[in-house]
Amino acid sequence: MRILVVEDEANLRHQLQQRLVTEGYSVDVAKDGEEGLFFGEEYPFDLAVIDLGLPKLSGIELIRGLRRKQISFPILILTARDNWQDKVEGLEVGADDYLVKPFNMQELLARLNALLRRSAGFSSPQIAWGPIEINTLHQIATLDGQEVALTAYEYKVLEYLMLHAGKVVSKSELTEHIYDQDFDRDSNVLEVFIRRLRKKFDPDGNLQPIETLRGRGYRFARKQPAT
Amino acid sequence: MRSIHSRLLLAASVVLAAFLGLGALALDRAFRDSAENALQTQLMSQIYALLGAADTDAQGRMRLPETLPDPRFSNPASGLYAQVSGEKGEYQWHSPSAVGRRLPMPGGVASGQPHFVYLPADEPLYLLAYSLLWEDDAGAEIAYLFVVAESAFGLQERVAAFRKTILIWLGGAALILLLVQGVVLRWGLKPLREVALDLRMIESGTRERLEGAYPRELRRLTDGINSMIQHGETSRDRYRNSLGDLAHSLKTPLAVLQGAAEGGDARLLREAVSEQVPRMNDIVQYQLKSAAAAGRGAGLTHKTLLRPKIDRLVSTLQKVYRDKGINCLCEVAEDVLFPGEQGDLLECLGNILENAFKYANTTVAIFLESDTERLPTKGVRLCVADDGPGIPFEVRERVLRRGERGDQQMPGQGIGLSVASGIVRLYGGDLEIGESDLGGARIAIWMPGRLQTN
Repeated sequence: MRILVVEDEANLRHQLQQRLVTEGYSVDVAKDGEEGLFFGEEYPFDLAVIDLGLPKLSGIELIRGLRRKQISFPILILTARDNWQDKVEGLEVGADDYLVKPFNMQELLARLNALLRRSAGFSSPQIAWGPIEINTLHQIATLDGQEVALTAYEYKVLEYLMLHAGKVVSKSELTEHIYDQDFDRDSNVLEVFIRRLRKKFDPDGNLQPIETLRGRGYRFARKQPAT
Repeated sequence: MRSIHSRLLLAASVVLAAFLGLGALALDRAFRDSAENALQTQLMSQIYALLGAADTDAQGRMRLPETLPDPRFSNPASGLYAQVSGEKGEYQWHSPSAVGRRLPMPGGVASGQPHFVYLPADEPLYLLAYSLLWEDDAGAEIAYLFVVAESAFGLQERVAAFRKTILIWLGGAALILLLVQGVVLRWGLKPLREVALDLRMIESGTRERLEGAYPRELRRLTDGINSMIQHGETSRDRYRNSLGDLAHSLKTPLAVLQGAAEGGDARLLREAVSEQVPRMNDIVQYQLKSAAAAGRGAGLTHKTLLRPKIDRLVSTLQKVYRDKGINCLCEVAEDVLFPGEQGDLLECLGNILENAFKYANTTVAIFLESDTERLPTKGVRLCVADDGPGIPFEVRERVLRRGERGDQQMPGQGIGLSVASGIVRLYGGDLEIGESDLGGARIAIWMPGRLQTN
């Protein structure tokens, strides 16, 4: 999952980036509203965390600009000015949730997780497909109730595919959503991840959760497997 | 035209000038008409006098004598002229005064009908023509046309003299009226100057309020200004108190942090920081919000339509708590007015509604309720109820006072209700926590008899 963080205060921006990366997100940061708008238009994010008091272009203007360009990823507002006028205005122009500074990092992560799930159409952090289940809050995957050890990137690929089950996900889309823009990508690595995921979750090849569509990408099965 | 005084004076002067001008014109016209009428009568008498003096010749035809009734007829260029002509050139006569001039003989003058005209020329004339039939000895009727003319100079001089007189009189009257007007205006506007002077005294600090005996029309204004001054003072006091309280209440957590830092134990320091930071945050939030709230504007009656604010807050919260799928019932009519500033309303209600959405299982209800205990002193309460766990009786008072104390011993309860309660109290109202019929908490806001339904 790729997250855009727009925050002008360097320390907080850095802390947010560090923490979100540790939590397994790909993070791009922007230090003002204009940069935020540019990034938001340019790259396919899954979510944005936007401070309201931004230089050059205020948070409200930034959100309005993004929504006007039909960019629909969920947006969480961070605000130091804890008044309802700002919160209501922010949500009215198109944000989805707000958090008042100073905030608890756990609280932020829970809110982000809920927004991501909600935007993918899931109401619970547990997403299950037959014996395979992931918990997006704790970022763990289980097979028949047994936790499966995954690397951060393996988990990211699995989560992205499961959140977009039934949809064809191209290699480039997958790459963009699991890596941030500074990362040197190699799409061959994706094939390795997919192969490893298949091996870990479907060693016998009975389930076939991930389908390869030649030249188009991958698709996680929407229909539950027959048990 | 920045001054009321000069505006009124200008308007009055224009009206005065117009009226006096028209008056002068009418008077002038009337005088001229009456002078002309008098002249016509005079000329007619001259004709009768000439007729009276007329002789007859051997055939009994009319002939005018040598000596004429008015001596002016006899002096050349005297200004009074007469001319008589008989039918078909039978007789031509003119007075000695008319030597060397011919008076025009207007044609078509009916017998017995005087004909009066003004003739502008080097010597302008008023002329009266009169035609009559004269029977001679033979019994034949001869028509004679009498023309009498008088120089217009005399009449024009009289009109000019009259004009001069009315100009002097009306001009004088206008001047006096303007002066009176000016004095009346100065007197009428004096209270405004006094208010301005008093305001300057307030600015310079020699006075605190507008206290003069102002006329009724200004009293709303001066009362309003007094209210604003009062409100400003109250706000200033509140800022000062809030800042004082803020500084005071931040010192305890700061002391704890300082102690922990000096103790040198990293674990204790971390614990102290994570304990004290939320506490400090609550203190800052509560005190700053209380200071920022507009509160009761001492007579500056803010009124805010309640329903649109509720709707905005509810749609915001529905978005944030989308996963809970809260069913929100709002039974507040569109035209209910909240007696408070809209920012305060948003802040107060936002905190209460957020709490309700946070703790409700399925339902939040917003409604008005008449307060039977307070009747008949016009009690209407705004209630927000939910079907959550509710707030235990023992902790209600602490929940409401939490912000003032920076009380961190209240797990699960934010500072929101305390902030809302503080704002309501600024208006002299109160906020009560109770149980709702839905099973959860019910928060009731009472504003001092002023929550109106139209």
